[in-house]
Amino acid sequence: MTEDLLKAATSALREEHSGEDAGANFTRARVMASMHNTRERSRKRWVLVLPIAATFAAATAFATSGRMPALVQSVAAVFGLAQGTEQPAELPTKPSKAQRRVHVAPKPAPAPVTEPTLEPSVEPVAAEAPPPPTAAVTAVRPALNPAPSSALPDPGHALYLEAHRAHFERGDFARALPAWEDYLRKAPNGRFSLEARYNRAVCLVRLGRSADARSALLPFAGGRFGGYRRNEATALLDSLAP
Amino acid sequence: MGYSVTYLVLAPSALQAPAVEEDESLVERLRRGEPTAVGEAYDHHHAAVRAFAQRLVGEAATAEDLVHEVFVALPRASRNFRGESSLRTFLISIAVHHAHHHVRSATRRRAAFSRLEREPSAEVSADPEAIARRKELAQALTRALDTLPIDQRVAFVLCEVEERSSRDVAEIVGVPEGTVRTRLFHAKRKLREELEREGFR
Repeated sequence: MTEDLLKAATSALREEHSGEDAGANFTRARVMASMHNTRERSRKRWVLVLPIAATFAAATAFATSGRMPALVQSVAAVFGLAQGTEQPAELPTKPSKAQRRVHVAPKPAPAPVTEPTLEPSVEPVAAEAPPPPTAAVTAVRPALNPAPSSALPDPGHALYLEAHRAHFERGDFARALPAWEDYLRKAPNGRFSLEARYNRAVCLVRLGRSADARSALLPFAGGRFGGYRRNEATALLDSLAP
Repeated sequence: MGYSVTYLVLAPSALQAPAVEEDESLVERLRRGEPTAVGEAYDHHHAAVRAFAQRLVGEAATAEDLVHEVFVALPRASRNFRGESSLRTFLISIAVHHAHHHVRSATRRRAAFSRLEREPSAEVSADPEAIARRKELAQALTRALDTLPIDQRVAFVLCEVEERSSRDVAEIVGVPEGTVRTRLFHAKRKLREELEREGFR
């Protein structure tokens, strides 16, 4: 064996495989087809993933905006999944500006959007009802004349107006409580039933009926209605704790 | 399995690397994912890549699979191309990285067919004896290459068969030049032993 033989073999291998092949065009077509398939797969993936991602992002944004419970309940109402009086399946549509403008403030004179805090000196009812909550009792005061776009027939509209006046204009919680309950009986799935339930709970707090108030607030604090009044209900429950 | 190697005389341009500027613009288009860029890269460099693939794996069909794999991987791999070498050298380095399982499967197939009689060559030539001898030597060397570790095999094919400098090979394989030379030394020693064992003197 000499170095020459290895060189000869190496040279033979080089000449045997020159790099040209009859299959070169076929391989080129294979490469281009593979590239095309890869692009198609990638395109299809984006077509599938993008809408899902967009939907997810929109749903997350919507859920965090606090409107999710209203949507869920509206959908449930449409499909006839409404529950009993204690579990209203229909909610007011989009909260009105007045609802969103709820803030903690002392009791205003004629038509306050915000409920006063429960302080014995301010609230005559609270004087006989001992709970000394530190949190503000914020009731929901929706617009009395809902926007025409959301004008679904509400059988208890008159009752709702009555309860609203008693609660917000007169501050008469002893009368507002049965009025809210009348409304809820008449329209358990009414457009304002969720607000009515919350306002009823506020009346119970005002009237010092702590046990009833607690059970009325628990569904809100427990997230049964999503983020709707969850923080306020939790704060009220904390204030009712012995 | 008969190897249907077609002998063609290559036009000088077929193995000539395109200009550096041409490479750069092509790589830029590959990075942008332009569909025609891969076809263009194939047209410019397929012969060089195929020659290396055939010499390395010693089997035309498997070499075609390797060539296909190299060009399909090119758009993604081109993101790592820094322009320090030519696109052709870069393609060879992609082939080296994709060659391992192709070499293994080709080696297994050759071992399985080694006991079968070789098909007679259909070539007609003025000097059939010389051609037969060349083919025999090439096949013997391919069988001997099958006994080498893949690193030594790659070093031998690139340095000796493709006649590249050890510096080029070091760049392609991504190891120091000294390592390339060591691998080449061991490869040559083992190949001589193998060829002797097969009865070549």
